[in-house]
This record gives sequence, C-alpha cells and structure tokens, in this order.
Amino acid sequence: MSSRGGKQKKGNVTSEQEEEEQPLQAVLVADSFNRRFFPISKDQPRALLPLGNVAMIDYTLEFLTSTGVQETFVFCCWMSNKIKDHLLKSKWCRPTSPNVVHIITSDLYRSLGDVLRDVDAKNLVRNDFILVYGDVVSNIDVSQALQEHRHRRKVDKNISVMTMVFKESSPGHKTRCEEDDVIVAMDSKSKRVLHYQKTQGLKKLQFPMNIFQHGSDEFEIRHDLLDCHISICSPQVAELFTDNFDYQTRNDFVRGILVNEEILGNQIHLYVTQDGYGARVSNLQMYDSVSLDMVRRWVYPLTPEANFTDQQGQGCTHSRHNVYRGAEVSLGHGSQMEENVLIGRDTSIGANCHISNSVIGNNCTIGDNVVLDRAHMWNNVHVSSNVEIHQSVVCDGAVVKEAVRLNKQCVLAYNVVIGPNLSLPEGTVVSMHHPEEEEEDDDDEFLSDDQEVGHSKDKTRQKAFNPAEVGPEGKGYIWKASMNDTEDEELAQCLWGLVLNPDPESDSESEASEESQDRSRSVSPEIDDVNAFQLEVLGTLQRGLEENIVCDNLVLEINSLKYAYNITLKEVMQILTRVVLEYPFQQQGTQLTTLQYTGSLLPLLKTWSPVFKNYIKRAQDHLDCLSAVEELFLEQDTHQTAMVKVLMKMYQLEILEEEAILKWFSTGATNDKSRQLRKNQGVRRRVRRMSLRRKESAEDESSEEGECGRRGIKTEDLRTV
Amino acid sequence: MGSAIEAKTHKNMPGADKEADLTERIEAFLADLKRGGCGTGPIRGSGETARETTALLRKVTAQARWSSAGDLMEIIRKEGRRMTAAQPSETTVGNMVLRVLKIIREEYARSRGSSEETDQQESLHKLLTSGGLSEENFRQHFVHLKANVIEAINELLTELEGTTDNIAMQALEHIHSNEVIMTVGRSRTVEAFLKDAARKRKFHVIVAECAPFCQGHEMATNLSKASIETTVIADAAIFAVMSRVNKVIIGTQTVLANGGLRAVNGTHTVALAARHHSTPLIVCAPMFKLSPQFPNEEDTFHKFVSPHEVLPFTEGEILSKVNVHCPVFDYVPPELITLFISNIGGNAPSYIYRLMSELYHPEDHDL
Repeated sequence: MSSRGGKQKKGNVTSEQEEEEQPLQAVLVADSFNRRFFPISKDQPRALLPLGNVAMIDYTLEFLTSTGVQETFVFCCWMSNKIKDHLLKSKWCRPTSPNVVHIITSDLYRSLGDVLRDVDAKNLVRNDFILVYGDVVSNIDVSQALQEHRHRRKVDKNISVMTMVFKESSPGHKTRCEEDDVIVAMDSKSKRVLHYQKTQGLKKLQFPMNIFQHGSDEFEIRHDLLDCHISICSPQVAELFTDNFDYQTRNDFVRGILVNEEILGNQIHLYVTQDGYGARVSNLQMYDSVSLDMVRRWVYPLTPEANFTDQQGQGCTHSRHNVYRGAEVSLGHGSQMEENVLIGRDTSIGANCHISNSVIGNNCTIGDNVVLDRAHMWNNVHVSSNVEIHQSVVCDGAVVKEAVRLNKQCVLAYNVVIGPNLSLPEGTVVSMHHPEEEEEDDDDEFLSDDQEVGHSKDKTRQKAFNPAEVGPEGKGYIWKASMNDTEDEELAQCLWGLVLNPDPESDSESEASEESQDRSRSVSPEIDDVNAFQLEVLGTLQRGLEENIVCDNLVLEINSLKYAYNITLKEVMQILTRVVLEYPFQQQGTQLTTLQYTGSLLPLLKTWSPVFKNYIKRAQDHLDCLSAVEELFLEQDTHQTAMVKVLMKMYQLEILEEEAILKWFSTGATNDKSRQLRKNQGVRRRVRRMSLRRKESAEDESSEEGECGRRGIKTEDLRTV
Repeated sequence: MGSAIEAKTHKNMPGADKEADLTERIEAFLADLKRGGCGTGPIRGSGETARETTALLRKVTAQARWSSAGDLMEIIRKEGRRMTAAQPSETTVGNMVLRVLKIIREEYARSRGSSEETDQQESLHKLLTSGGLSEENFRQHFVHLKANVIEAINELLTELEGTTDNIAMQALEHIHSNEVIMTVGRSRTVEAFLKDAARKRKFHVIVAECAPFCQGHEMATNLSKASIETTVIADAAIFAVMSRVNKVIIGTQTVLANGGLRAVNGTHTVALAARHHSTPLIVCAPMFKLSPQFPNEEDTFHKFVSPHEVLPFTEGEILSKVNVHCPVFDYVPPELITLFISNIGGNAPSYIYRLMSELYHPEDHDL
C-alpha cells in the first residue's frame, strides 16, 4: 500500500507540473506496417480487431488517457477510413474526453519512420511524447518513467532522446513475443542502454567490448525483459528520423543511435517495471495470450466487465472462475463454462457444451455438444452442433457447420463457411480472399490501380472453392503458410509467429549473400560452378518445355547463365548436350528401356535443335559435341544402341555435320570402351553408309580405303583385348 | 495545446457552458472510479469518495436544469446509475446517491408543509396507506426547494467530515488498559480509533498483515509512530494468537443490509477465530458504509484484481499452466459480529435494518 500510495502522490505531482508546463502528447501508430495478421487484416485493420470484444485501439487509448495524455495523434494508413469512423463514434471523440484525439491519415506511410518524419514535418509535438502502436494493451503507470525521463533531460541537456518501457518477465513466459526477444546491456545506475539486440533465436551473442569500458562500473545484461512497445520520446526523435531517412522501425532507430552515440551524443534509456501489464499484439500467438491474460484479469482495471469504452450494452457481469456474461446470453441445459470464458451479448449456446479459456463475441449462435478450448470467436459467428475448436480464431460472420473439428492454430477469416464433417489440420488459414489475389493486391498498394483490383477480383470469382479443403458446403480458400515468405524480411509469413528463422542472418540479407558469394569464389570455383550451371541449364530447359518458351529466349537465358557462372563456350556445349541427353532419365528415371529412351529423346532433340545450332558452329564445336555424346553413352552402357539413333537424328536436324561425324569416328578411341562403342554394329553401319554416300558424291576413294583399313586394325586390336 | 483548449471552449456555446463543465466533471469522476482501486481497494479512502460523490451531486443539483423535485430526482438517479455501474464494488457512491434522494424527498415534503408525513413509517398500517406521496406529487414547483436541498446536502457533507472523529471519540468506552487488541489490514477509521484511545490508555495491538497486499505493514508503522505497542503477524498465525487477544477491532468496506460485512479478505478468518475463542469482534463503520445491498447479489459482490500480487508476472512459464485469482473482499456473516461502532453510536448487527430504513427511502433501494 505504501508504495502504491507513494506512487500515486508522485503521479499527482507530475500531473500538476504538466498543467503548469505543457500537456502530455502521444503519437499512436494505428498501423502495424507488416502482414502478420494478413488474411484477417485484409478486411479490417489490425487496430480494430476485437480483443475481449473491444477493439485493440481502445485499449491503447485508454492506456494513454489513464496516464494523463491530453493530446493524441492517431496515424492511420491501411483502411484509415474504418479507423476514423470507429474513433469518431467512440468516447474518445466526445467533447468531454480529457484526451483530445487528432486523426491523421495518409496512404503514404510505409513504416514507423515515415510517420515520425511526418510528425516532424508537421511540427506536431512540442515536448516529450509517448510513442505507442495501436495494438498495445497495457495498464502500466508510466508517470514514473516519464518523470525519470524529464529529470534526465533536465540534468544533461537533451542527451537522452528516448526511454523505452520494458516489463520484467522471465524467459518462457507465455506473453513474451519471440519476435521481440531482446538482449539488452545497460548501465545499472543510469539505466542507459549500451547494447540492444534482438535475439532471433540466436545461440551465440556478441557484445562489443567498448561498451563495458567507459561509464560506470556496474552493468546489467538482461534477457528477462518483455518489450511493451511503449516509448517516451523527446521531440528530437522525430528530427532524428528525418535526418536519417533509412530508419524504418524503432529497432533501426535504437541501433542507429547506439552506433552513432560517440558522434551525435544521444543516449537511450530503459525503464523496467515490475508492476502493471504491457504487451503488444504482434501476432496471433500474442493475440491468444494477451486475450487470455485479459480474461484472467492481468490488465485490471481494463477488464471486460469494466466497460471502459463506455458503450451502450457492452457491459457484462463477472462471476466465479472468470466467467463473463454479456446481456441476453442464453446457455443450454448441461452446458459448462469452465473457466476464463467471456461471452458477448445476445449470444446463445446450446446444450452440453464445454467452453473453457475462450472469448465469444456478440450475436453468436453455438449448437449442441460443442467443445471450445482457447477459441477466439468474434461477432456473428454461427457454430453448428458437434463442433470442436481448439486454439483458433474465428472471425466475424464465419459459419462452422456440423461435426467440424478445428485443430490448433486455425484461422477462419471473415465470412468463411467450413464443413460439414471436416477436420482442419493444424495451422490452416481459410479466407474468402484467394491467396494469389493477395500478391496482385500488394502491387496495387503501390500503384493504386483500380483496374487491376477489379481484374483480380474477377479472377477470384472464377476460381471454385475446393470441397476437399473446406467441406462440401464450404466457402473459402486455404492459405498456405509458405505463401509469401518473400514478403517479410525476417520471418516466413506466419500468423501465429511460431516459426522462427533459425538462421542468424536476419540483420542484413545483403551481407549474408555477399558472404556466400565470397565463399564460393574462394573455394575452387570450377567444380561448383559447372555443377550449378548444369542444374540451371536443366531447370531452364525444363521450364522452356513446360511453358513453351521460344528457343531464342532459352539461348538468351543460357548465355546469361554462362556469364553468371563464368563458363567457357566449350563447356556450355558439352553441358548442354549432356543435359539434353540425360533429360529422359531425369524425367522418367534410369530404368528406361532403350526404346523408351529414344522415343522420348528424339522429339526433344527436334524441339531444341535451334539451341544446339546456336552453339555448334565451328568444326571444333561439332567434335566437342560428339565427344560429349560419346562420354554420356559410355556411362550409360545399356543404352549404347541408342547412340546411333541420336547421331542420326542430330545429323538429320543438321545439328551435326557429316564430316564431323566421320572425323570423330576416325579419331577418338582414346580407351577400350570408346573403341567398343565405335565397334557397335549400328554405329559402324551408319557411319559406313554415311561415308559411302559421301564417297558417291565426293568420289573420295582414298579416304574410304583408309577408313576401312584402320577399322580393320581396330577390330583386330579389340579381339586381342 | 493552447489551440486545443481554445477549440474546446469554442465548441461550447456560452449558455451551455455550465452544463458542459458539469458533464466534464462527471465524466472525470466516472473515469476516476473506473481506474480507481488498483488492487488495494480504493486509492482514496471511502470517506473521501463519499464526500466527492456528495459534492458532485450538490453540483448537479445546483447546475442541472430542473423545475421540480421529480425532475431532479430523475437526473440524480440517472447519474447515480452511471456512477454505481462504473465501480460496482464501491458501494459508498450508491449510498450517497440514496442519501441525496432521501434529502430531496424530505425537503419536498417539508415544502409542502406535511413534515409529519416524512417521518419514518411508524407502523405497518401507515406503510400500507402511505402510497399518497407518489411520483406525480413531486411535480409541484417550489421556489426555495433548490436552496433547501443544497443546504441539506451541505449538512450531509459536514456530517461526513466528522464521521471518523465521531467514531474515534467512542474509543475510550471500548478499549481498556493493558488489553490486547487484534486488527487486520489497514483501516483509517480503526487507525484513528486506536490512536485516540492511545492518548489515555496503554494497550497492545496485534496486526495481521493481510496478504497479498500487506496493508497491515503500513498500519503497524502508523500505529507504532503513535507510540502504540504493535506486533505484526502473518495471516496464518491469526488463530494461534487469538487466545491472547481481548478484543478484535476491524474496519470494513461495506456494511450489508443483513448486518454482514464485505471487508478486506482475511477478515472472515479473524472473525471465525474470534468466535472460536469467544473474543468480542467490534466493527468500526461510519454510517455512509451502510448499503442496502444483500450478500446474495453475486455479480457486484466480488472484486477480483490482477493476480500480480499473488503470483508475479515475472514468474514465467508457470503462469500459463495455472489459474491465479486475487479476490479483494471477504464476506463476514452477521452472527460473527458483536458490535458495530458508527458515528451515531454502537449498534448490534440485528439493528442494521432499522438504521437502513432511517437513512434511505425504501422506494430508492433500486436506482
């Protein structure tokens, strides 16, 4: 009691000072600038998603108002109109509100950096301000932190630019967001941040020595901190963002300040609180735990029954085991609300249901024999009988038909219909938006081309729902978790934020790729490159075949690959030949009969003949090509008979010239096997016929004589061996 | 911010200025109530809450637009409903609303000149036949009604100011020399009561610390500053120590209509232990804590706060595996209580119903 009483007194003192000085301002960023909630946030901005049946932004505004903020700037970007409408209807925009809310919208904000640069450009803040996101849920009393911040700024002029508020919570805590896991080194006395690093699942962490060499003699390195995403900023912060246009996030800013500390002389401080609650709903995993924390009353006095948004009919009652019921809730016979259950108004629940750790919105209907565990249902959801839902989010207007089972971490976005008789596997995301539409939309965000949006919508309508995925009466498309991992910088797109990138290459991808290039350059380039090139050529040809690409383009691509991997022309040709001849094996396995092999190869040769012709021009090229063919058939002893057909075809397609084949036949024979190959009946006959024809046309007797004589010798040799 | 303030004043037309100011005040009070009580009960004492409520209601009476007592009662009821809904566990607010309503009824009756009518319902016969003073009769307009009501509310405020002193004055009648007194947690009224007695008598106070908020520690510090011999014990030791105790003196948050208590948790333990040892249990409760509520009204009876004090948030993994509750109040049944000491004297629990009917009009019990 004493500490509380004391704190309250201090709070009063600060508020008195505020009245003398200037009112406390806050910047609320009602956009996340990432796509963690993606299929859901497509229909509703994240700040308006309900948490315990109250929009998240209301928690943030209540937090700000209760800390004595008198002027709040709300910055919206994505779906700014919805946020604006919501705020204008809420109690925050009533004339009696102690916290004046200004809404600033722009489609041009792409990051926190943009917002703060705009704050600077418009000259909105005149004094220290509180910076929060629109999805922060907190009841921390920051007046203490504010006082410390002001004191520091008074003592050493404007050196401290930011005080970050952290909550103590040991690792393994449910409400710790893995994405935001940080290691902080700080000066124990002044609370100055010396080093700040996101752990990102790293096993090893490095601290620069110099941070421990100056300043005081006591340091703390802490990992037991939960980032509340509440920061008390000096007006300089906005200026610094303007000066450094590459700062996008607070993380960039903090790192930048720490790196440039020597030059700019700015410092960042930390405020660690043990009381209170503060967390940012940065992914669905956090949504789940924050929602549960709220129902378990960790955020008191922001509890569901408090109705702090002061909306008509939102009130509910609180009874034992944290069961909250809104007005007009009906509960069927034998239904049990075990613990931590919040049920919105006008919701009816059938008989023999088991509900635990769940939040159910307004106007929902739930059938008989339903099991809900950690289910988060929003408004107007319809659930039929015999449904089981575990740790899932069901958005507004969704319908779950009979005997459906939602396993862990499923998401049913707005208006989706599922079932009947279906079990959705773990981590399924179903949305009425087709996943492919999403990428086009992403472009639209930048182009804002209405025509394209319409186009993509038309396209989705054409695509039918897959009854195997969403049930016979289902409506919606399954979103694959790996759909847009290229989109996010650090993580695979992952609503639940569970899949952490185990690689420590998060800080800069460019560095990592540079490294890999360095490595490949230093270690024997040829072997690696040739192999890589071969694979690339194979891929190119495959794609060419599938998508019917013109041979000219294939040539172009192979040429560019040649430069990329630093390959000589000779190698290109050899590899090309090899790839083409191996192609049937690649596609259909090595167990082909010779007949099948030739059957599939010959048409391919015909298709790709322009490619060959492009590379095989000089006489030496022909020989190289032939030697490649020979090499391959030496490896594939069983298919040696096919060689003759290949040669024939290549001859017919005018890839190889007669002269070259004859020359090859006459020379070569570097080892026994190749001799055997040449001895092969078909080859011999073919070549002889070829040479005969040649003789007829060219009347070149002697060469033929020589050929025969030499061949005779060869056969002799072979017999001896 | 200068511009924002300007904007605000511009919005309000000069005529509506008073009313806007009033709504702003009410909103601020409601917000305060909602945020109030971060675990340890009200930050302000309930006496302060009572005074603030009354002052606010006086402001409403003075500034709101009304022409007859009926209008005024309707306005007060409306605001009263919102105030009680804002923090249901804070019953003083509702009590004060009822007191003001009662004042308006009395003043109206006096203005009509039928002062004997406003006396308490003396008999069952009168109760049955007293339907005469119903709503439509409050429509009559009296010029001096406003002034009279405000005057009466001022009297109420003066009464509220003096409650703690009035209770403390009775201390010497109850505490004798060399007694051992037990108390639980911290109550401003009990603190004043004991301090008053300590001016003349020497006695020993044992304070149960009252986990998890441990307000008992603060109580003990304050008492020892007033040079009272004080011992702090853990809640678990209450029964063990009880055999040495001559008297238990506790405070309470609310006195319920049946004479039971809604008091800080730990009080029930103390009351049961006292009963086992036949130790008298005295409750110091000013009259404004007397509420027409009965203990069966489940929804508003409990108050659960953040479980932080029971199991800190820093604990980590275990928090996701257990459910932690942190209730604030205990219910103490009236049969465990020996005596109430209020600002108007000592009363037995069985007499509470009588006080109730003196303080509040029966028609107002439901706002």
